[in-house]
Amino acid sequence: MVSKLSRSRFSGVLASFVGLVILAVLPGFVDPYSLRIVTGVLMWAGLACAWNIVGGYAGYISFGHSAFFGIGAYVTGILMQRDLGIPFLATLPLGILVAVGVAAAIGGPTMRLRGAYFAIATWAFAEMLMQVAIILDITGGTAGLSLPAYLNEFFFYYTMLVVALLAYLGTWYLLERTRFGFRLKALRDHEPAAEAMGIHTTLVKVQAFALSAGITSLFGSIYAYWVTFIDPRSVMGPEITDQMVVMVLLGGLGTVWGPALGATVLWLINRYIWSELGDTTIYLPILGLIIAMIVLFLPNGLISLLPGGRRGGGLMGRLLRKL
Amino acid sequence: MHADTARQTISRSPLVLEGLVKNFGGVTAVAGVDLEVASREVVGVIGPNGSGKSTLFNLIAGMLPMDEGRVWLDGKEVTGQPAWRIARAGLARTFQIPSLFDNISVHDNLMAAAVESGDWKRAPHRAKETMEMLEISHVADNLASELSGGQQKLLEFGRVCMRDPSVILLDEATAGVHPNIRRIMLEAIRRVRDSGATFLVIEHDMEMVREICDRIVVMDAGQVVAEGSFDEIADNIEVQKAYLGRQV
Repeated sequence: MVSKLSRSRFSGVLASFVGLVILAVLPGFVDPYSLRIVTGVLMWAGLACAWNIVGGYAGYISFGHSAFFGIGAYVTGILMQRDLGIPFLATLPLGILVAVGVAAAIGGPTMRLRGAYFAIATWAFAEMLMQVAIILDITGGTAGLSLPAYLNEFFFYYTMLVVALLAYLGTWYLLERTRFGFRLKALRDHEPAAEAMGIHTTLVKVQAFALSAGITSLFGSIYAYWVTFIDPRSVMGPEITDQMVVMVLLGGLGTVWGPALGATVLWLINRYIWSELGDTTIYLPILGLIIAMIVLFLPNGLISLLPGGRRGGGLMGRLLRKL
Repeated sequence: MHADTARQTISRSPLVLEGLVKNFGGVTAVAGVDLEVASREVVGVIGPNGSGKSTLFNLIAGMLPMDEGRVWLDGKEVTGQPAWRIARAGLARTFQIPSLFDNISVHDNLMAAAVESGDWKRAPHRAKETMEMLEISHVADNLASELSGGQQKLLEFGRVCMRDPSVILLDEATAGVHPNIRRIMLEAIRRVRDSGATFLVIEHDMEMVREICDRIVVMDAGQVVAEGSFDEIADNIEVQKAYLGRQV
């Protein structure tokens, strides 16, 4: 048993090491277009990781995460305008602070809601924030906002890589190795029992929501600088949250590495459709079909197909029952 | 003078209830319950279905707001406080239907129970000891949802033990379990009681009530209708009326 465990752990460490080396040297071996796709995979993997904190570990379906992505994008976009001229890296903590503050303010009342009520409240919040971004002058409204161009794909690839790695390692440590993770999993599985054990469930949920929002905002900031142009639809549209949700469900809800797997598969499908069919809406019905297939045939996500993948199928069912 | 004496009594008792009332619309589920439980005492709460036993537990644990009444835990008033705060004050409970954390392992269920109480660094060691006491070490890595009904009851009691509480509310801890599981549970309850805990136990299994309860409180229609030792209660006419609806 022990040697089997050690062997499994050794295989895991070895696979992680090989994966890291490949990711580190990848830019030297692929063309700029492919590198851009992999950079996208890293960004979506990080976003899925962030959503998984609330959806997978706390068991609350948020449809409002695009708001935090947009907050990060707009904080960086606005602060980097020529008249302010704040360096990109300095805008990152500010974006996180704003997103965490907004999440704490919104989370206080909404995280007392359960099931569909919470999902609807977060969706309404994101829609409201997008409308605000449309009417404000400072955001450029529907005309959008241009950022200073920094045409260095290597920079964005490595920035996304480092931030995504930190997000995953931080999440793994926090949710699998500390009291906070136990609190979160306890309230996800049985909130009254968690309270009966002394867990202040509302506070823990708000902390998780704020943490998730902070990570989402960070990727929004990097994305804005990467694409150099943002508008309300592109950084606050509901498709952003939808993709996060589907990526997590596809990879494995409430698992550490499942969201990375789901993000990789889904983003590659997305880019393949885009390259073959152009800018079409066919991707949306495909997303719907994928959700239906996962619910029916793969409730534990792709991660459950790997050796040592999670057994049991309670999480997806629990989440769906909440809706 | 009388008030001072009452306060001193309250401060000595781990659990004191004074005039608890709970109405659901026009139905009074708990109608003015007074109760005091002494240190290391095991008090059984019995009564027919719908007599208000589980509602009483929910009021004590802060899971339902009470309409009237007061609750003291180890001499400290906890009336109206949220469940998590009452739990931190030293109360632990089980539920009529085991309320486990289904998607994490047995070991992690016990760890989750220790996050707000005791020495966190010692929690893995205490989880191991608890699993040994309850004879569930062999399923430590199983998901809680994979356990049998009896093992789930044991695990739920194990979570209570991990918290090292001063007052424990057990809601039908041995209902429908295998005699072997029942034996393990009884031994564990005695052991925890001997280490200093006080118990309030809802139970329909009269053999279990006879074996572990120092005192029995009988509820009917939200009220305490009788109180005493097992033999006193067995002969009590009010109790017979409550259960059978007529004198026998």
